[in-house]
Order: sequence, then C-alpha cells, then structure tokens
Amino acid sequence: MHEPTPTLDPTLPRRFADFSTLLEALDYAAGGIRGLNFYSPRGELESSITYGQVRERAVEIGRRLVHFGIERYSRVALIAETNEDFVCYFLGCQYAGLLPVPLPLPTSFGGRDGYTEQLHLQMKSCEASVAISAAYMLPLLDESTSGLNMRFVGSPDTFEAQASLSDIKKVALPKVKSDDLAYLQYSSGSTRFPHGVAVTHKSLMSNCRGIGKHGVQLRENDRVVSWLPFYHDMGLVGMLLSPITCQVTSDYLATEAFARRPMQWLKLISKNRGTMCSSPTFGYEICSRRANPTDLKGLDLSSWRIAGIGADMIRPAVLDLFEQSFKDCGFNKKAFIPTYGLAECTLAVSFAPIDSGYQVDYVSDAVLSGDVKSFEKFKVNGDAGNYREVVNCGKLLPDFEMEIRDENDIALGEREIGRICLKGDSVMVGYYMDEEATNQCLSKDGWLDTGDIGYIAEESLYIIGRIKDLIIINGKNHWPQDIEWVVEKLPELRSGDSAAISIPGANKEETPAILVQCRKRDEVDRIDLENRIKSEVQAIIGTTPTVVLVPPRSLPRTSSGKLSRVKARRQYLEGQLF
Amino acid sequence: MTLSTTEIFNKICELTEPFNHKSVTINTETTFASDLELDSLAVMDMLASIEDHYDVTVPLNILPDLETVGQVAIAIKSILDE
Repeated sequence: MHEPTPTLDPTLPRRFADFSTLLEALDYAAGGIRGLNFYSPRGELESSITYGQVRERAVEIGRRLVHFGIERYSRVALIAETNEDFVCYFLGCQYAGLLPVPLPLPTSFGGRDGYTEQLHLQMKSCEASVAISAAYMLPLLDESTSGLNMRFVGSPDTFEAQASLSDIKKVALPKVKSDDLAYLQYSSGSTRFPHGVAVTHKSLMSNCRGIGKHGVQLRENDRVVSWLPFYHDMGLVGMLLSPITCQVTSDYLATEAFARRPMQWLKLISKNRGTMCSSPTFGYEICSRRANPTDLKGLDLSSWRIAGIGADMIRPAVLDLFEQSFKDCGFNKKAFIPTYGLAECTLAVSFAPIDSGYQVDYVSDAVLSGDVKSFEKFKVNGDAGNYREVVNCGKLLPDFEMEIRDENDIALGEREIGRICLKGDSVMVGYYMDEEATNQCLSKDGWLDTGDIGYIAEESLYIIGRIKDLIIINGKNHWPQDIEWVVEKLPELRSGDSAAISIPGANKEETPAILVQCRKRDEVDRIDLENRIKSEVQAIIGTTPTVVLVPPRSLPRTSSGKLSRVKARRQYLEGQLF
Repeated sequence: MTLSTTEIFNKICELTEPFNHKSVTINTETTFASDLELDSLAVMDMLASIEDHYDVTVPLNILPDLETVGQVAIAIKSILDE
C-alpha cells in the first residue's frame, strides 16, 4: 500500500512560477518531494507520482516524440483523462517542442456521433497530426480521426513500442523559449466552429504566478483536491499547471467519478486535509443535493480555505445552501472565493479577497433586463425593490489592465455597465490558425474584448453576463449557433428560424430554451415538430430544452438583419413573442 | 448466480423510478434523453445507483452508445459476465 505525496516539503523553497517556461518550472519542482495523486471513483489511491518522476517520464516521452520524427510545433491531440499518462504526455510534448491539445471525454449517455464529430472538428481546425488516448477509447478516436492526415493514432503503449530506441537518452531535445506556444485550449467556443486558444509559456507563467502569489496567496501547507477535467482551462491551468509551477501537491478524482459520486470529492478533502478545492457553481450544488447523513459522518472540511468559484454565473443561493449543508462538518463560508476568468486570458483574471467569503451588490432588474447592447450609461441602483444579486469577483491580478467600454469603445467609469476589455501578459496571442476570429476580439495593440458584460465598483469587478449569448448548462458552455444549427437542419425549418437562449429555471439556474418560427397551424404537426426539436437539442446539450413555437418573421433582427438573441430573450421573458 | 438480461432490465427499471418524474411507462426502447427527459447530471446520478447495486463500473467509452434502458441492461449484463 503506497502513500500519497506529502503536503509539506521542507527541502524546496517555494517559487511562484517565476520561470521562463513550463519546462523550467517542472525542472525546479522535480527537485522536491511533492507530486500528484490519482484516486479511484470509490476514493482509493490508484497512483502517486512525484514531480521528479513526472519529469523523468515526460523527458523520455519528449525524446521518443522527437525520435519518432514528429515535426517541431506539430499539434498532438490528447484525450484528457485524469491520469498520469495525460500529465506526462502533455509535458512530454513540451520537451519535444510540440503543442499538446487536450480534448474532452464523453460526459453522458448517448450522443456518440456528436462526440466523435466534436473531436474531429477540433483536430481538423488545428491540423493535429498525432492523437493519443487510452486503449479503451481508441475505437472512438479512430472514428474521429477518419479523413484526417495523421502521423500516429493510438495509445501510450503502442506509441512507446513504435518509438523505441535502445539509447533514447542520446536524442537531443529542442530549446524552448518563453514566447513559444505551450498548448492549445479548446474549452471555450463553439463546437461546430471551433478555434483553439494559443497559450504561450510566457502567458502561462504570468497567469500561474498571478494565481499562486496574488489570487490564493499560497501557504506552505496548501494542498489541491480537484475533480475538474484537464480539458477545461479551470482544470488544466488552475488545478494542474498552477500546482506544478508553484510546487503544490494535488489529489485528483476523475470528473466522471465526481459526477456519479460527488461526496467522494469532499471525503478526499477531509482525508488529505485539502485547502484549495475549486469548482463551478454547479459542483457545489450537486454536493448539497447528494449530501446524506452517512456521508456527512466523520467529514471534516475545516482545512478548506480556498473554495474558488468560477466558470459559470455565480449564484449566491447555491453557495448559501452549500454552507448550510456542510457547516457542521467544519466548512467555513469565508473560504468561498468568487473568481472571473476565461480561456482567452489563459485562465484567471480576478480573485475576490481571501478569508472574506463572497459579497454581493444589488442591481436593479430594470437595468439588467434592458438591452445592454446599447450600453447606455445605466447607474447601478443600490436599493431598488426589484434587484438581482451580483457577486463581487474581486480585484484584477496585477499583470492585467482593464477597461469597461461602451459600444463606441469609450472607457466607462465606476458603476457603469459595459464590455470588459483586458490587456496583459496572460492574454492569448490569438486563436490558432484563425485570424478572422482573432481579429474579432483582439486589437492590434493587445486589448482583448471579452464580450462579457460587467462593471467596476471600488476597484472590484462585477460580472453581469457571460459572453453575451452563451448558454451555460451544468458548467458546460453551449454556443447558441450550434443549437440553432441542429434545429434548422429539420426539413421544415430554414436558416434564421430559431433563436437559442437561456431562461431562468426554478432555482434561478440557467435552462435552455429555443424559440422557433413555425409556419404550421395543425396542432398534431406542431407537437411533432416540438418533439423532434427537443430530441435534436437534447442530443447535443444533454438537457431537454423548452421549445417555444413563434409566428413566422417574429424573431427580432438587428438593423443589419442578424438575429438579436438578447432582444428575443427579453421579448420572450416579457411575454411578447406569441 | 448469473442474472438474465430481463432480470437486470427489471432491476434497472426499479432503480430508474426515482428519476422518472414524468411517470413514463418504461420498456426496453425507452430513451433517457427524449422519453425520460433526464439531463446529463441526472443520468450520472442514476448510473451511480445502478453501479452501486451491481458493484460494477461502466467504462466511459461505452456511454456514447447507450441511448435506451434496454441498452444499459445489455451493457450491465456483459460487464457482469466478464
């Protein structure tokens, strides 16, 4: 029976990602005794690897990749399982000067075609030439790579067998510089029209330094316990690369294991005295929902000091419920740290202050439901009768500059609502091989238009809406155009006939709705159409949407004829769209 | 003792009942998504109860092929037989 790697390491002084590349960071961490631990769905330690062992294996994989003749800067697709293989291949690509591209695992029942098509489109968009996954996933990977020009598709075992050499140590590794790209991140953006965020070593180091030194203000006894997937920026950067670059021991539970048995996450925190354990809001929600007296018995969450919240809209009611459910187990609500971030900024942009819990501002509904696209200078109202709670996402990490801008790109002042624009070392250099998409959000002088809407009050950032039209269900982003695309494939519908939006559910959570222009009058035909729309949308987002049939030509358009989802949503919620 | 697919199917129907909010009559062709209208979290919740009952783990790679209650029964049967 082996032991997990320790929390404390008296042998190695902490450095906060002040390295020029990820490789330099791993070289440093390898000198200590900390590392990564992987747990089974039932909470048993499956494998444990020190940073020294990670480095040794990654260097060897890097040499094999070079020896195999994979050209420098090639893209290597990795199905991102929560295990040692993924971590060592991701880092092995770094040593070989290649670009790893973490890709998702299946998340639920059904949807085989949608899943393989998503992988296919992602690999196609970055022209990946190598794809690696665990052996059991190969049938799906083979299907996904069909029609693509691949040098190698297979498992780590077959790769290592094919790329063997008796004296592998003689293979020279390339020199990697701070401005080189480190990896591509596909966690945001449309699945039908994917583009990968290109992250440099410099951006990554800047962001990890910001997270470790300023965001969470790392302490000697900090330990990460995470279930977040490595194909998502919050899982990859927040829970894997930051710990490596700041020499923190981390414990992992696979995402699919958390989805089935969320209490295992809390049990692991309790057992290993985890301190830094973050999640999107829905992760806290399912823990509260699944808490039962047997699981709560003996649970001790008093070590938990950073319960970061990010990736979806933060809902105070969910956090309150979590605190109610687990305060008797020692959970302190001051551990809640709301954050704001996005893949286009590597990961993190702002952190609420530590040890103070979450704070809310009250914003009038009249302001929020207005057509924010016009960016009139609304003043946030502190004491309106109808208000919504908006969570304080804290102060910017020091490497960023920020402006809240109106529609004419004029910087706005305190408590004025506008688009959040950012500049700094963590901002991406662009979407990989997609100049058009890059130019739409990144200016020549390095300002990124996030498309998110918010305001600043007393130097803190408040987010009102994530990227304008994005629909976030159970922590997963869905682009409305992907949903509309499948709906409009139905024979009786045409392009432009539908608008995918999110509407508030029973607990103010986002739920999907699709408004569809319908020409049919016959009730049986209409019900039949509704059912087919439901099953098409269900197949790609995993949730049955509300379907609303509206009269022809009733969906609102902008002056240039484009669908206005913001307006459609408002009209629907006001009951004007029937 | 080896269980038949029908016995497994009947047990799965029972385990699915708490998630059957629409009171759909379940047969082997019933789909989780369209008929039972389960979202992805509810599906995992239900899967956990099936796995706990049989003390098995359903591997991730077969999830995309499971659309109906009958298919899940067949999958559990083949995992138990291995």
